[in-house]
Amino acid sequence: MIQLLSLEFYKIRRKRLFLMATLFLGVELAGAFMAVSMSLARHPDQEEWMPLLATLSSMNGLFLPILSAVCVSRISDMEHKGNTWKLLLSVSVRRGQLYLAKYICACVILLGVSLLQIAAAAAFGIGKGLWESFPLGLMVQFMAGTLLTNMVIIALQQWLSLAVKNQAFALCLGMLGGFFGMTGDFFPQAVRQYFIWSNYNGLSPVRQSYVDNAIQFTAIDGGALLPQASILVVLGVVIYIAGSRHISRQDI
Amino acid sequence: MLKQTLSAEWLKLRRLRIWIVLLALPVASVLIGSANYAMNQGVLQKEWYSLWTQVGLFYSEFFFPVLIAICCAALCRLEHMNKNWNMIMTAPVSVASIYYAKMVICAVLLLLVQFFFFLLYIAAGHLLGLPAQFSSEVIGWMVRGWIASLSIAALQFSLSLVIRSFALPIGIGLCAAFAGLGMYVAKLGMFFPHSLLSIGMGVLGQGGLSPHQQFIWVLMNLLYFIILSIYSIRRMSQRDVIA
Repeated sequence: MIQLLSLEFYKIRRKRLFLMATLFLGVELAGAFMAVSMSLARHPDQEEWMPLLATLSSMNGLFLPILSAVCVSRISDMEHKGNTWKLLLSVSVRRGQLYLAKYICACVILLGVSLLQIAAAAAFGIGKGLWESFPLGLMVQFMAGTLLTNMVIIALQQWLSLAVKNQAFALCLGMLGGFFGMTGDFFPQAVRQYFIWSNYNGLSPVRQSYVDNAIQFTAIDGGALLPQASILVVLGVVIYIAGSRHISRQDI
Repeated sequence: MLKQTLSAEWLKLRRLRIWIVLLALPVASVLIGSANYAMNQGVLQKEWYSLWTQVGLFYSEFFFPVLIAICCAALCRLEHMNKNWNMIMTAPVSVASIYYAKMVICAVLLLLVQFFFFLLYIAAGHLLGLPAQFSSEVIGWMVRGWIASLSIAALQFSLSLVIRSFALPIGIGLCAAFAGLGMYVAKLGMFFPHSLLSIGMGVLGQGGLSPHQQFIWVLMNLLYFIILSIYSIRRMSQRDVIA
């Protein structure tokens, strides 16, 4: 398995995937930091870390489904383009293992992106002079929610990217995912829980609400988010297993 | 020569099923925009104008630029596979005709998308009980949106013709869409193709353009289209293809 995983990273070594993801993240962070700076300038009384985490959560809803779609598509499309499926399977590798290796590879890249994001958010907050009130618990919770949602979305994207050669469909799903991720809060809870992309906001440790035309931020206890996280884990496992079985049985 | 390359492009497009993507994204933006309009009718009181801001916002700032990117990448996808660049570059047709055939097909597809979006907008308005007469300005915004989409298509082709990855030019296109939004907010919208689309479709500001601004808008689109097309054709003619 380790060999397969290292092979996946070997194959993408010249694709500059991490650089592309970092640049993409840079665009997101630039937008988020600008929005937070403007918000803090208007409302200096706000608890400063909360607007930052809430903004990042909603921006993640838009950007990360698309970034996941792009990364997974690039990792999967190289096999379609190079017609390398037969070659790979002729070295007696089980397709399930190959599927897992690609999945872990995509997850590691998105993990790197999330770590960079947290580091940049911390640096931004500290740069604003907020070192003393650093909310480690909220940060860990934010990171966990983001990673979990990423993993489920990657499972879905990988299924589509490997099943359908034409990557336009996978990227279209990524686009729609970004759209639902951003607008998920407009839907009723009963509908929203089935939109896996809306969990960037749903599992965020900070909620924003409008009271008397003013934004209020509330910290959410991690325990309260556990049921939603559990549903997401189950969904992720189902999607992964369904995808892996489908691809393993698909004719090449 | 162009006729031959055009028919070849149509042939390549036949089994791509790109139409599913081309239809799905406008439907999503109209559905969400209409739902948002229906829920906030107390605040959004300008009827057709308000509906336009709601359905057009996500479409012009987010979906349409990416749809253009997907369209351009799809039109170049086949060439990047199975060493097809070698085959197409040795065909007895000029490089310019290959490029313009792709551009014409892309322009036709984008025109169809715009028309489909327009139909969806009208249908949504009628379903929401808006008066029968809608503002004729919408047609102008649609046409301007299509013109600006050609500049973005020229930019996307300059990427998709070179970059072998299908997804990467689309990712760059999305980042450019956000950069365009930033340029629009910074009042530098006339200098970037994606913000020219925002200005053209009148979603963020419906004040209309003065004749002078309209002239600059058309000129900038024309400049972008010509410069980027020349760049792409020269690159295809002078650099060796990577098959």
